[in-house]
Amino acid sequence: MIQKQINDQGGILGPDDIRHPVTIVIYDDKTSNDDTVSNVNRLISEDGVVAIVSGTSSGASVAEIPICTENLIPCISMASAASITHDSKTNTEFKWMFKTPQTNGHAGQWQADYLKAKGVTNICILYTNDGYGKDSLANYKAAAEADGLRDIFDSSYAATDTEFSAQLAGVQASGCKAVEIGSTPPVASLVTVAVRNAMPNLIITSGHGICNQSYITTAGQAAEGVVFPCGKITVIDQLADTDLQKPVLQKYITDYTAFTDGEAISTFGGHAWDGLTMIVQALGSLKDGMALADQRAAVRDYLETKIVNWPGISGVFNMSATDHNGLTKDSLLFVKVQGGKWVAFPQKDW
Amino acid sequence: MPRFFQRRPVRIIGIALIVAVLLIASLALGSLKHYSPQNYIQLILDGLRAGSIYALMAMGFVVVYSVTGIINFAQGEFVMLGAMICLSVDAMNLPLSPALKMIAAIAAGVLLTTGIGILMERLTIYPARRSSAVTLIIITIGVTITLRAAALLIWGADPHVLPAFTTLALEDRIFRFGGVMIQAQSLWIWATLAVILILLYVFLQRTLIGKALRACAVNRRAAQLMGINPSRMSMLAFALAAALGAVGGIVLGPVTRPIYDMGVMLGLRGFVAAIIGGLVSVPGVVVGGLLLGVIENLAAGVTDPAFKSVVSFIILIAILLLRPQGILGGGEKSTEEL
Repeated sequence: MIQKQINDQGGILGPDDIRHPVTIVIYDDKTSNDDTVSNVNRLISEDGVVAIVSGTSSGASVAEIPICTENLIPCISMASAASITHDSKTNTEFKWMFKTPQTNGHAGQWQADYLKAKGVTNICILYTNDGYGKDSLANYKAAAEADGLRDIFDSSYAATDTEFSAQLAGVQASGCKAVEIGSTPPVASLVTVAVRNAMPNLIITSGHGICNQSYITTAGQAAEGVVFPCGKITVIDQLADTDLQKPVLQKYITDYTAFTDGEAISTFGGHAWDGLTMIVQALGSLKDGMALADQRAAVRDYLETKIVNWPGISGVFNMSATDHNGLTKDSLLFVKVQGGKWVAFPQKDW
Repeated sequence: MPRFFQRRPVRIIGIALIVAVLLIASLALGSLKHYSPQNYIQLILDGLRAGSIYALMAMGFVVVYSVTGIINFAQGEFVMLGAMICLSVDAMNLPLSPALKMIAAIAAGVLLTTGIGILMERLTIYPARRSSAVTLIIITIGVTITLRAAALLIWGADPHVLPAFTTLALEDRIFRFGGVMIQAQSLWIWATLAVILILLYVFLQRTLIGKALRACAVNRRAAQLMGINPSRMSMLAFALAAALGAVGGIVLGPVTRPIYDMGVMLGLRGFVAAIIGGLVSVPGVVVGGLLLGVIENLAAGVTDPAFKSVVSFIILIAILLLRPQGILGGGEKSTEEL
């Protein structure tokens, strides 16, 4: 879609005022780590691309780190784990890795801030026993501690589980006043129902994995009052008109719907759009006749230094040498389930 | 070891010792988590609820195994089909009151699943009836995969909602007594198990056709010589197993959210329950199912919920190694009672 838009205009406008056509090469990684790695290798050695947007799962994105780093090529991932761009050994950002989605850290911050405002001190965390759930647990815990909350009980379940009495017994015995859920539907809905049935007075918060209408449909009445942050594209009708992202989101939704003949909008498309648009903008800054390696380095430097206050689909980006994601928790909108729909739930209403 | 365990007093003392050690261990672990008596009661009640479903499934395994000598791995899919057909009929726009529609949906779920059970026997087991038991068991695995894939095509990968029997709505009525919660649906599940047990008893002991079924289980050849048609009995066994599975799925449906692959774990648990009961005695597997549900839930509660399935499979392996005839069976003789 982006390639068509650009080349319909005759290409990217360079600093020399001449338009250069762009080719976007697309391979399917089938969310497999192996396929991702071989695709990235192919893009670098056979296609000779300047920059790569790749990795729809955290695992695949981590797998491509060494390839991007060794080949000195900027890579933008579309997955959430912090470890994609952050090297915890040296506590710095990987030089060639960037990513566009909001992280579980942001989701954890929202929930912790909310619970703190509610006067809760002891929380429980329930999470799915998978990559998303475990990353959620780590981030929710860190965010809670930063806000002075204590995680006094956490427990996991498999994505296929339907019976949670063991987890709930622990929650009940621990005496916490709120439960944070790190799951995606359908199991997120089932856990919500189970918690509500067993302990109707508990506050339930969740990460942005449940921003999907099917969560509410499956959980029914139990979802009422659950609060969580959501990517803005799923809740665009709830956004204030002053929101920097609103025009970008509206244009994206119109363009995407027209281009795909009305396919459903997903956050993933948005993550890819952000990455590609950043790269295209960076390409616009390149001078004519640069060697490929120099082009790659220039694009990387552009991404790190020039993406400032940049409204995209996933949020307003402020990239820097110490932050290759560039988003804050404000890239997510805090919502509450009310009457079977999510409704914006800004801090002043807490 | 197994021979040692055959001696009755030794066996009783041994089992009592194991139970005592496990009980003390779980109380100790539970106190680490600050469990109150209510927590234990809740875990046991929820375990009994899950266990009732395992028991219904295990009865299906027993009926088919006794009559045909086959482990029918499609038992879990009967549960899924019962729940799915029931909720589809209930979601239809029929000119009936909600309560009548629910009854019609339940009847449709049971009858259609029974029909599928009969079809399965006629189309896959009957043509291969002269093959070895292993071949037939592999056939049932093939049927399992086919049914699950068909369910995925028909009902999709999302979970569905079956209304609770009491409220006829998504939200069930919940009774609370001093920190312990019972869903009205749990009462339906227990009542169903009791009614099914009585019906099955009357059917097997008091009706001619039930007696024929038992005769076939005791000795197929002799039954045949007495004019009982074993192939018809095999069909009847599959029909009965499918109906039992469907009933289990329908009463369980409102407690969970039925999904196309729910039969996988339920089928395995039902199988473990059947093994605990020795695969041949109906009362044995009912106790086995309830025991499994409670042990599994308590163990998951006091340790880590991730161990839940581990627990059931440890039980399976332990039973197969120590008491292959089931913990309630009385030795070799019991392998020929239904």
